Amino acid sequence: MIPLKSTISLFLRTMIARAYPRVVGVRRQPSWVLHEALMPILSIAAFGFIYRAMRAPEQYIGFVILGGAMTAFWLNVLWSMGAQLYWERSSGNLELYIMAPAPMMAVLAGMAVGGMMLTCIRATVIITGGILLFQVSFAPTSWALLILVFLLTLLALYGLGMMFASVFLLWGREAWHIVNLLQEPVYLLTGMNYPLKVFPTFLATVAAVIPLTAGMDAMRQILFSADGFWPLGVEVGLLAALSVLFLFLAQRFLGYLERRSRQEGRISVKWQ
Amino acid sequence: MHEHRRTLRWAAWLGWQLESNWTEPWLFALYVIIKPLASSFLLVCMYYAARAATAGAVPPEFLPYMYVSNACYALVGAVMFGMSYAIIADREHYGMLKYVYISPGRLSTFCIGRALSGGGQALLGGALNLGVGVAAFPEVRQALGHYPIEWGWLVFYLLIGTVMLVSLGLILSAAVLNMARNGMYLSEGLAGVMYLLCGVVFPIGVLPMFFRYVSLALPPTYWLEGMRRTLLGPPPERLLESPLSSWSHWELAGALILSTVVLVAFAAWFFRWSELRAWRNGRIEETTGA
Repeated sequence: MIPLKSTISLFLRTMIARAYPRVVGVRRQPSWVLHEALMPILSIAAFGFIYRAMRAPEQYIGFVILGGAMTAFWLNVLWSMGAQLYWERSSGNLELYIMAPAPMMAVLAGMAVGGMMLTCIRATVIITGGILLFQVSFAPTSWALLILVFLLTLLALYGLGMMFASVFLLWGREAWHIVNLLQEPVYLLTGMNYPLKVFPTFLATVAAVIPLTAGMDAMRQILFSADGFWPLGVEVGLLAALSVLFLFLAQRFLGYLERRSRQEGRISVKWQ
Repeated sequence: MHEHRRTLRWAAWLGWQLESNWTEPWLFALYVIIKPLASSFLLVCMYYAARAATAGAVPPEFLPYMYVSNACYALVGAVMFGMSYAIIADREHYGMLKYVYISPGRLSTFCIGRALSGGGQALLGGALNLGVGVAAFPEVRQALGHYPIEWGWLVFYLLIGTVMLVSLGLILSAAVLNMARNGMYLSEGLAGVMYLLCGVVFPIGVLPMFFRYVSLALPPTYWLEGMRRTLLGPPPERLLESPLSSWSHWELAGALILSTVVLVAFAAWFFRWSELRAWRNGRIEETTGA
């Protein structure tokens, strides 16, 4: 029986070890500034100018900026977590991870923490650039509530990302295409650039499974005093429930799908 | 000439296989339509949200403007991004670029073949996207039915647009040949620049003055204006007017042909120069991924 203290220590050391390359890579490959920080501002600016051309309330441009910042986290979840194990398999690292005594959850948690650092920088640049370009003001009614909602959204999102990572173990080239497919439809369903009340109730309820839906709706209520689709308390509760659910499912999926991948010989399959 | 045709054909076939053989045909068909539809519906939701917030003040002509432009713009991303990504994928993931280079076919012809495959897919997706737009949204249906489609000009713009986009794709592919794998972000970035500056989803008159001049220097601006004009007619709504609204088809076509000729010449030279540079520096077989 391994002592709990050793288990926790191993988990944390693994997490730090896996986060380390992502954090250090930020400094070693400065080209990320261009494609991670500056280029996303272009599409944000385009959506902002759409609202300006339609003479929508300036608040809606704020929605676009917020949506752009949260897009960064969604893309991080998809590409740097969901598809990561697929790429690790192609580069030959996956079998090393599985052979190592460290738990896979710790490896994925490290990816999440490491990726989150770069993503936070990207989101900050997007928000700053958006505010400077469009002169939009962000005035949260409660900073504590905003931080709580933001952290819960991230927790639920990255739990979902861990689930994706395990599911993608079963796939070959389809993984890249499925991840690619999950970008625009999620932007549409979660109301990245517009209030959720555009949708009928049943569609918004279905979309609520994706943490970004409730997270962004709640943040819009806090930042812009906008009308939300659901009351703030409901959305906070939903995000907390999704966090617990996705983390639990991620752990179960990881174990099951790792076993299945071993049985089907998919752990070391490359170039598929 | 026969070799070029053969390389083009097999490159297009290879591109098609890579894009499509990862799944069942019905799922692939869904994949082809879902992405462009989702991006169009996102714009539709923005339109309805703005219309609700302004108590109906947004002119209904805005929706077909955005919808048709966005459907046409899918070609830009598919060709440009597709070509440069083909270089990255073949070099880094499949390790095949060196074999393509030493084969009898020209690398530029191979890239063009791959572009045509992606372009064909985007054209199909765009046509389906427009079909869904006509079926689902009365504003789009009315706009497309109000003014007869100028088929001759449509074919012209599609052909010249293909040449223009392929030239842009060749320039990007050439740049990416001498870059590490994160060079694929260059084409994404340029697609983003064009989405902002070429009047895809809003008239370029909305942009600050300096950026309007930049827009007018970009060939896709004229192409998109031409495509919209053939499908929707001249902009009926003052809010949708741009500096190009008063241009005739002949003037648009002239500007497009001139800029495309310059692009083709530059692309041919730049690709050859980049290819030689990549070969001398050992980049053709280098893998730069982590």
